[in-house]
Amino acid sequence: MDNFLEVSNLSKSFSGFWLQNISFSLPKGYIMGLIGPNGSGKTTTIKLILNMLKRDNGEVKVVGFDNITDEKAAKANVGAVFDTNYFCDEWTVTQVEAAVSVFYKNWDKNKFSELLKRFHIAPTKKVKELSKGMQMKLMIACAFSYDAKLLILDEPTSGLDPVSRDELLKILSEYIEDGEHSVLFSTHITGDLERTADYITYINYGKLFFSGSKDEFTDMFRIVKGGRNELTFNLSEKLIGVRNFSTGFEALIRADDLKQFSHLDVEPATIDDIVVFTNQEGEHYE
Amino acid sequence: MNDTLKAAKLDFALIKPYMKNICFTMVIPVVFAAINRSLMTGVSFAMCFIAMTTGYTFSVSEKSGMDRLYGILPISKKHLVFGRYLYTCLMGFLAFLFSMITHPLVLRVLGETIHPVDICFAIVLGILMFTLYTVFQLPGYYKLGAINGRIFMYIPVAGFLAILLLASKLNLTNNPIFSALTGNPMISIIAVLLVCIIAYLLSIIMSIKIVQRKEM
Repeated sequence: MDNFLEVSNLSKSFSGFWLQNISFSLPKGYIMGLIGPNGSGKTTTIKLILNMLKRDNGEVKVVGFDNITDEKAAKANVGAVFDTNYFCDEWTVTQVEAAVSVFYKNWDKNKFSELLKRFHIAPTKKVKELSKGMQMKLMIACAFSYDAKLLILDEPTSGLDPVSRDELLKILSEYIEDGEHSVLFSTHITGDLERTADYITYINYGKLFFSGSKDEFTDMFRIVKGGRNELTFNLSEKLIGVRNFSTGFEALIRADDLKQFSHLDVEPATIDDIVVFTNQEGEHYE
Repeated sequence: MNDTLKAAKLDFALIKPYMKNICFTMVIPVVFAAINRSLMTGVSFAMCFIAMTTGYTFSVSEKSGMDRLYGILPISKKHLVFGRYLYTCLMGFLAFLFSMITHPLVLRVLGETIHPVDICFAIVLGILMFTLYTVFQLPGYYKLGAINGRIFMYIPVAGFLAILLLASKLNLTNNPIFSALTGNPMISIIAVLLVCIIAYLLSIIMSIKIVQRKEM
């Protein structure tokens, strides 16, 4: 099996929001960043993958198992980390293990205690006494203890300090090192993805904008800069979102469209630039 | 371990921090039994009190946002419901067992005579009351959640008061149904058990339907 996650034509509608025909796949041994502005459908996509929401249409395969017909097998291979802790606040770390471990046949007690030591989590501490970063690590320790093949993280770095963020990203990089695990990582802190992600799936206003390798994604676009008089009609038509200043402009353009405008200052586009500028265009068309 | 047992174990883990409070709650009906010099009153109170704690699992999981944990665990929603019913019944059974041991002892110490018919009637009433309370509470909590559905916590109190009112109006000593029940204790127990099983089956079906329709 080459892909640990396969999403095909996934759709879900709520009042005022429609996630439309999302398709992407995550190969084994890689990290994929799921990006998009707030309300774009990232969490909805994750909840649909975990069968926490009912899909209207489409298909999801997790480590080769259909997420509905083989729900139990699919979930036995998935670990999930959300932006906030999902264990009972009053539980101690030991009680978390006692409550959760029974659900997994391959739960490794030794691995769990090793991970607690590595993450500096005291087994006697209550969940509510742990910092946000520690709670995150506890969720990860649980997922690693049953050797989850696919780790899904929903905005795990939001609210974490830079040190904890860095630690988390290191943990994720180590996790996929053996080529037998994959990570789907939703975030709006795109700097994290510049460092760790191999693939990007970008959802904007419920629609799939891009899914593919990170390099391909950033190579598709450039940032162009120029004076106000250089912003011609021809150029404006090709630009994807423009920032105007008193002295000139800054805009995103497709790399393919750049040849005609070689006189302009060109810089590589970051993931952040692409999300911000394409979102401006999205708002314009909404 | 069977999935239903795993889910019930998870529910026991949820209320572990509140176990002291629940145990203390079970002492109060002993006092009621002693004051009223009645086994039936004590057991009825005990089942009423324990039924009031049914919502603890819902409120703890709601407070801690545990829907997401339930969403990622490799267990079906149906088994989560079975587990919660098993947990509820076990809690009821433990409370019932505790009452049926402590209340007669206390009453004997106070010089009261406990007749077999008193024990039999306490068993019937205790099981019946607990069932009637919880079969409505659980689907209610599943539908509305612990916070919006907190009114369901008072079902046992309302039920208990309704039974007291009914008993005083019916003049039980001359009631033919009551006389038939006290005259055939085994038949009464079997009939009550059947009613309870049917009520629980209907309640479980309703809860599963609610949970399967719900999105997390």
